[in-house]
Amino acid sequence: MKNKILHSYLKLKDIFLSFFMLITISSCQRDIDIKLPDYQEKLVVEASIETGQTAVVLLSITAPFFGSTDFSDPTKYFVKGAFVTVSDGNQTDTLVEAVPGTGYLYVGKKVFGHVGGNYLLSIKVNDKSYSSLTSILNPIALDSAYFKGEKDSLGYCWGHLTEPAGQGNNYRWFAKRITKDLFYAAPFNSAFDDKFIDGKSFEFSYERPPQPNQQQANEDDPDAGYYKIGDTIIVKFCTIGNNEYLFWRSYYANKASNGNPFSAPSNLQSTISGDNVIGAFCGYSPSFDTVIVKKAP
Amino acid sequence: MASFCFSQNYTISGYIKDKSNGESAIGANVYVKEGMKGVSTNVYGFFSLTLPQGKYTFVCSYLGYISYTDTINLTQNISKTVSLEPESRNLNEVEVIAEKQDENIQNTQMGTIQMDINQIKKLPAFMGEVDILKSIQLIPGVKSAGDGNSGFYVRGGGPDQNLILLDEATVYNAAHLLGFFSIFNGDALNNVTLIKGGMPAQYGGRLSSVLDISMKEGNSQKLQVDGGIGIIASRLTIQGPIKKDKASFIISGRRTYIDLLAKPYFKYGNPKSDFAGTSYYFFDLNAKLNWQISEKDRLYLSGYFGRDVFSFKDTDAGFSAKVPWGNSTACLRWNHLFSSKLFSNASLVFTNYDFSFTAGQSDFELTLFSGIRDWNAKYDFVYIPNPRHNIKAGLNYIFHRFTPSNVSAKQGETNFDMGEIVRLYSHDAAAYISDDWEVTSWLKVNGGLRFSYFAQVGPFTRYVKNEFGKTTDTVNYNPGKKIVDYNGLEPRLSLRFGLSKSLSIKGSYTHNFQYIHLASISSVSLPTDVWMPCTELIKPQVGNQYALGIFKNFKQNMYESSIEVYYKTMENQIDYKEGAEPQDNVFDNPDNAFTFGTGTAYGAEFFFKKRTGKFTGWIGYTLSWTWRQFPKINYGQEYLAKYDRRHDASLVLTYDHNKKWNFGLVFVYGTGNRGTLQNALFAYEGDISFDYGLRNSYKFPDYHRLDLSTTFTPDREKKLQKKRQRLENRYERKGKDKSLIKVPKAWNKNYQGSWTLSVFNAYNRYNPYLIYYETSGDLMKGTFKVKGKQVTLFPILPTITWNFKF
Repeated sequence: MKNKILHSYLKLKDIFLSFFMLITISSCQRDIDIKLPDYQEKLVVEASIETGQTAVVLLSITAPFFGSTDFSDPTKYFVKGAFVTVSDGNQTDTLVEAVPGTGYLYVGKKVFGHVGGNYLLSIKVNDKSYSSLTSILNPIALDSAYFKGEKDSLGYCWGHLTEPAGQGNNYRWFAKRITKDLFYAAPFNSAFDDKFIDGKSFEFSYERPPQPNQQQANEDDPDAGYYKIGDTIIVKFCTIGNNEYLFWRSYYANKASNGNPFSAPSNLQSTISGDNVIGAFCGYSPSFDTVIVKKAP
Repeated sequence: MASFCFSQNYTISGYIKDKSNGESAIGANVYVKEGMKGVSTNVYGFFSLTLPQGKYTFVCSYLGYISYTDTINLTQNISKTVSLEPESRNLNEVEVIAEKQDENIQNTQMGTIQMDINQIKKLPAFMGEVDILKSIQLIPGVKSAGDGNSGFYVRGGGPDQNLILLDEATVYNAAHLLGFFSIFNGDALNNVTLIKGGMPAQYGGRLSSVLDISMKEGNSQKLQVDGGIGIIASRLTIQGPIKKDKASFIISGRRTYIDLLAKPYFKYGNPKSDFAGTSYYFFDLNAKLNWQISEKDRLYLSGYFGRDVFSFKDTDAGFSAKVPWGNSTACLRWNHLFSSKLFSNASLVFTNYDFSFTAGQSDFELTLFSGIRDWNAKYDFVYIPNPRHNIKAGLNYIFHRFTPSNVSAKQGETNFDMGEIVRLYSHDAAAYISDDWEVTSWLKVNGGLRFSYFAQVGPFTRYVKNEFGKTTDTVNYNPGKKIVDYNGLEPRLSLRFGLSKSLSIKGSYTHNFQYIHLASISSVSLPTDVWMPCTELIKPQVGNQYALGIFKNFKQNMYESSIEVYYKTMENQIDYKEGAEPQDNVFDNPDNAFTFGTGTAYGAEFFFKKRTGKFTGWIGYTLSWTWRQFPKINYGQEYLAKYDRRHDASLVLTYDHNKKWNFGLVFVYGTGNRGTLQNALFAYEGDISFDYGLRNSYKFPDYHRLDLSTTFTPDREKKLQKKRQRLENRYERKGKDKSLIKVPKAWNKNYQGSWTLSVFNAYNRYNPYLIYYETSGDLMKGTFKVKGKQVTLFPILPTITWNFKF
């Protein structure tokens, strides 16, 4: 018996939200000049470490919506000259700017992630300090990953998982197509916990996520969201910690709530301590599967 | 007047009715000219006036009716039923103004407004549907929740803090789907009273207001049919006697058609999508039976049944949704007169409310549902020993069964295990006593005490959580076992200082408990709105309201005016925890999703009304603040509630030009509601995300709107005369004997038709319903652009309705 409850529930939740949004979008729309009452600049921290890799930290700042906001030069929002370290209890790795002088991307050299490791991230910017703790848990692999066609030659990527019994496991799904995609990307609602599925054996699917910073290109792509025959997909299925899961859940809830009057305004549940900071430091424990999408015999 | 120190007192008591249809006159004045001692009729039209033995000029008066005067010789108890004649329209300004129409000056009630149904019907109605809930929002102190929402906020209290009663049955959700329309069909209603301050002790269970609505009893004189056909809905009411003067019935129904709400989908949707099967309609059915068993006993059976049926299909995406929603109430009441001074009413009430949302994708189906079911018994007494006292006492018991948001899912034929349906059971009881006491001629006091009790009982399973929010233990309670209880005393006090016949100062203090709560995830009525009773984690709401007002009438009660100020505190207010999601309820207690805080509201209300004449109407203005403070929301900082509206003004005018034409105008103005908007954006995982500002820090643009209406009633008399004349002429031409004229039966029927044309939002103001951001481009490429957009629900909407009556 296939139990699709979790994933379909998540999918329906999106439909549920957009359904009500549909009801209210009438022809009466107008541009409006919004005067925002309060704005406080915040530091944005996108940090991760995974098995066999060093830490990767992206630092930027928020931009106010209106007023003098000019988005033609995104580098204005990169944070340069920050002092970033990651320690695993034995060593401390000082991360360096991947492109010196540009800021934004900081990478580690010495401390590599391994299963069971605990990592402390520490950031100092403009005399302010921030920190966060994460771990790399035991990996839990999918039983299998495969492609299923939906219409024509297009379809979604599926995974079959036998979830280990015992509450407290959380997961995140990444995927990339070899040669076509440069990076692993996570689709919408890619993080889930085991509240409904604890100990159960079930299958679920995800659509093809857009590549980072390719949102516009993705919108213009006629096959957006689908995999197709000829693709080779690598699925990176990771276990993550509880706080990290709650962060990603809030991340996707925040994305879903844009303009939606039917959801509560929800900010991200950041895992970084410090004032005026958004983001998380996430330890990933991946297992890999390869899916070759062939024409049906 | 000589004083009769040792003479006997006798009572004249009975009922006041409308002569044309036998309906009870609620709040009519009954008094004697000698000494101007008087009382008002209660909601059943009953009055009791005890006076020393003697001869009196007895007067009954009621706005809209010709006063009745008689001489009575009070040497023994008299039982009397008075039928008042409705006054015809088209009276000029200086008309027979009923004396003693100064109830707003004389009585201790402050913050009580009795709405005139006939006046409401003359006002422009949204899409032609007369809506009581929208009309009460025109009164100062009562704010609307916005377009497309029938919720209302009274003096800074939430939409769940209003007790809405339909013939004594509690109505939990008084609006149809999405809140465009209320469930009340204006044709079936007799009286609407709103109490926004100084809540008397016979009411309880809600902090902010009482909206007491009573249905018509049914024309006890003759069969009457009224109806109307409009652009989006049609109504029909049939009433009549079962036994003339003894028993009567009324059935009233209303149904809408698909149009209005299906339109937006067709506009927005992908033109290739097949929207066949998308439909929406709702219907309301009100029915009532009443039977005057004897002089002392009367029985009423009334009920309401309504259903919304909405289905949506997008076959291209394989998606479908169904939203069956419905309210039903049934009430059996027995009026019994123990004596001419002691009136009682016993009621048995059943209320049921269901809300469910089913969505399907291919063969997978998910259902979210919630509901409430109440069984209620109450017994109320009114004892009027003399005109200086009006003592009320009673008991009330409700057994609640709450079904907060539940989820069920199935795939094809397989049902998934989402746990058992979570239900919460509770006992809700109260006892009260109050007296409306005329201490001296210038001081009147209404003092009351209410004792309320609430207990949650099993069957129930409590999931015990550890500090990480994971379930570590479950505690099971057997059916009937008490889990937690709350109780308390609720003192209520109102004072009236009469400075002159037309001027008084009133003050009031009320202390209230509320044992049920409505938690909304958003500002729009949705299945995720959950009614929750008190549990171990949810404590009762506590309200304290202080109000002070000055009331003045002008020109012999033609004009009424008042200024009222209030200050209100509310404790144990509920809201969803930040980041709460609907599926959190599964395998969990729903009350774990909530967080609690306090509310404070204060303001001033100005009101000026013209009651009689060709032009009638009012102007109201409210200046108010509503704050909330929740430790876990907005970083614990105080923030304005989303319905905080600094200025709120309404202008209502009706003009009876003549028998054929009348006009109505409504103008509303309010500073915008508050909301939480994203005020910053940032890049994350190669995409743009938004950050919200402080809770409710954004003020929406101001809301204002003008509605106009006119009703044309053709002169049937004239038409019939003309027809008859033509018939006579024809007979003459043909040389026939005129006395042989057979007038068609249809001409003699008391038929009356009229046309109502109304325009909602006459100058097409684009009031924002929601605001969102539209983004395009990629941030990293420097092509990113963002625009603010607002969506308006209702542009200018003209509508025409044909009404008939016979």
